[in-house]
Amino acid sequence: MGRRLASLALAMLLGTALAQPVTITWYVGLGAGAQPEQKAAQDAIVERFNASHPDIRLEIVYVTNEVSVATLSTLIATGEAPDIIGPVGGAGSAAFAGNFLDLEPLIQADGYDLGQFPAAAVDNQRTDDGLIGIPFASFPAFLYYRPALFDEAGLAYPPSEIGAPYVLDGQEVEWNVETLTEVAKRLTVDANGYDATEPEFDPSQTVQWGFANQWAGAGVARQNVTLFGPGTLVDEDGDAQMPDNWREGWRWYYDAIWTHHFMPSADEDGSDLLAAGNPFESGNLAMAQSHLWYTCCVSGTEWDIAALPSYDGTVTARLHADTFRVLKQTEHPREAFEVLKYLTGEASLELLAVYGGMPTRPGDQDAFFAALDERFTQGVDWEVAKAHVAYADVPSHESVLPNHNKANDRLDQFKSLLDSQPGLDVDAEIDKLVADLQAIFDEVR
Amino acid sequence: MSTHPSRTGGRLSPLAREQRLWGWVFLSPWLIGFVAFTALPIVASLVFSFTDFKLTSPEDVSFVGLGNYRRLFVDPLVKVSLGVTFKFALISLPIAVVLPVALASLLDSKWLVGKPLFRTLFYMPYVVPVVSAIFIWQGVLNNSSGWLNRILRSSGVLGPNWLDDVNWIYPALVIIGLWGLGNAFLITLASMQAVPTAYYEAALVDGAGPFARFRHITLPMISPVVFYNLVLSIIGLMRYFEVPFILSNGTGRPGSSTMFFNIHFYKTSFVFFDMGYGSALAWLLFGVTMVLTGLLFYSARYWVFYAGGERG
Repeated sequence: MGRRLASLALAMLLGTALAQPVTITWYVGLGAGAQPEQKAAQDAIVERFNASHPDIRLEIVYVTNEVSVATLSTLIATGEAPDIIGPVGGAGSAAFAGNFLDLEPLIQADGYDLGQFPAAAVDNQRTDDGLIGIPFASFPAFLYYRPALFDEAGLAYPPSEIGAPYVLDGQEVEWNVETLTEVAKRLTVDANGYDATEPEFDPSQTVQWGFANQWAGAGVARQNVTLFGPGTLVDEDGDAQMPDNWREGWRWYYDAIWTHHFMPSADEDGSDLLAAGNPFESGNLAMAQSHLWYTCCVSGTEWDIAALPSYDGTVTARLHADTFRVLKQTEHPREAFEVLKYLTGEASLELLAVYGGMPTRPGDQDAFFAALDERFTQGVDWEVAKAHVAYADVPSHESVLPNHNKANDRLDQFKSLLDSQPGLDVDAEIDKLVADLQAIFDEVR
Repeated sequence: MSTHPSRTGGRLSPLAREQRLWGWVFLSPWLIGFVAFTALPIVASLVFSFTDFKLTSPEDVSFVGLGNYRRLFVDPLVKVSLGVTFKFALISLPIAVVLPVALASLLDSKWLVGKPLFRTLFYMPYVVPVVSAIFIWQGVLNNSSGWLNRILRSSGVLGPNWLDDVNWIYPALVIIGLWGLGNAFLITLASMQAVPTAYYEAALVDGAGPFARFRHITLPMISPVVFYNLVLSIIGLMRYFEVPFILSNGTGRPGSSTMFFNIHFYKTSFVFFDMGYGSALAWLLFGVTMVLTGLLFYSARYWVFYAGGERG
């Protein structure tokens, strides 16, 4: 009798255990998604997934962006790594290079159709670890501008077609970095109403700036020079280098802050005049280079988008491509892949609207932009954004560097120096940077 | 020679045993917390410091002996970050010690009206969460729109770039730090008010002036509290992190002037994931703090006065 009861209890326990759904943890915070206003939609998606998948229990964990890298590294170290992270872009992924699961075997076993995405987008997810993501969101960079400030300065709007000329003082000129510089200077105004081309202009009294790279700070220093073309800091032999076009880009960047004064310094960027770090939103910045994801955080309808200028006859638009990744440490790769398919499939349009990401799946793009039009009723020509994808920087400014996190940290210090210190010899600082990067690369040789 | 009332023949009585047991029961939450969250991590960090433990590849740990400690001598950032920490200490420590005494003296004065109000006002910033306070100060000290420079401008003075000038960043950090002096000030005030008035009355009879009374009565009597504040300030400086980290985003800006030791430690451990070397950095910091605190305790016999005649 006792033995029977024990067997029955064991069977019941086993049955309960077998019926328990597998828990998959989804870690949000390395990229978009952890902002308070973004949580409700994601929570609803998790609820819907759980309702339709009785064998899997999806749990979402939000971590604020500032501490997300440290938190994830600690979770990995303690054996508590989440199963899925994302959305995460190139920069966030590079910090954890080597920790992602190759999805190829799961894709093959599942018969998942990768043909629904452009081949280049799929290739973009291939690394030394294999295929580490399903294409999800693209965030091309382009120019945001405020028409009212152009009207006030009596300037024509920047062209919406890539490669089209700009009309300056009644003359058609190439829309290139030089033209942008001139236009930005005219749009930079001090408290007395003088613009940055006039001798009376007082840079210490600036109240309106002409141009800035919106949110291109910590961890992404390289994106400040992509207007000057793509580049890599690693030469063919694996040594550190600064490509000539980027060297020129950094010189231009520094002069824009300290000589021409049309780009805000670190101090100005943090001031109330520029909404303490959100300069374009402040209304006191005429042009900003940023990505499609910036639609998350710009309000009002007094803005439009335009083409980026060329450099040396070529336009380069940096591209961010975010997706979700499965960590190697997962104990349930099949279930994690099931969640991955859901997030990048059934739930993708809703999530993309939350993150401000353009669907990589071409068939979904019209619906995405229609949703954006409901928010921004000024009639933005989103074809401008789409067109910039074809001008993506290859190699990407987010590519993995040897000893990546340390190298990236040194780049942040370099950018921070340029942002905050007048009177520098930029070439000497670049040489110092390259020497330091070499030492950092050598640490992992 | 007396015997303990609860002991019978060298053994504990049942009542004492029960009391001891309950004592341990009531202590156990703290003990468990201490072991789990303090003692074990300390031991773990010591073990890590002899390994090449990387946070993102915990499966590839190997023993490196004293390798991480040897690295301390060739890592240029160790020298830089310790230099920054000591330089800031030289500026901020005297202020952290003198200002609470000065404020307490002011509030202890019989001539001051509205003491409770001032006490509250001086202490209030201490209860503001540190991160919020840093963001507030970041705005206040902003070169372009901060109200400190606006006030200076309105009086015809061009204010410094507090947060981005290597010559002004330490004064800026000291100003921010003043907000945290509420506790030290309050303890000093309490100790000042505890000085027996008989000493002052006797000194008055002997013809001692206010300065002499302060120098020969107040200061010696509050010296244990000054010593306590000094020890806490040194320990606080050795773990100084939040303010420079939030202000500079960990870049050490301007230049390397805010690359404090703890920022180097944090980045090594949690940005570069090099927990093995990070642990060695932590133990170096522990050693430096211990030496400084030890020196301070040694010096205390020459300047700290204990009314009971014994050192605490």
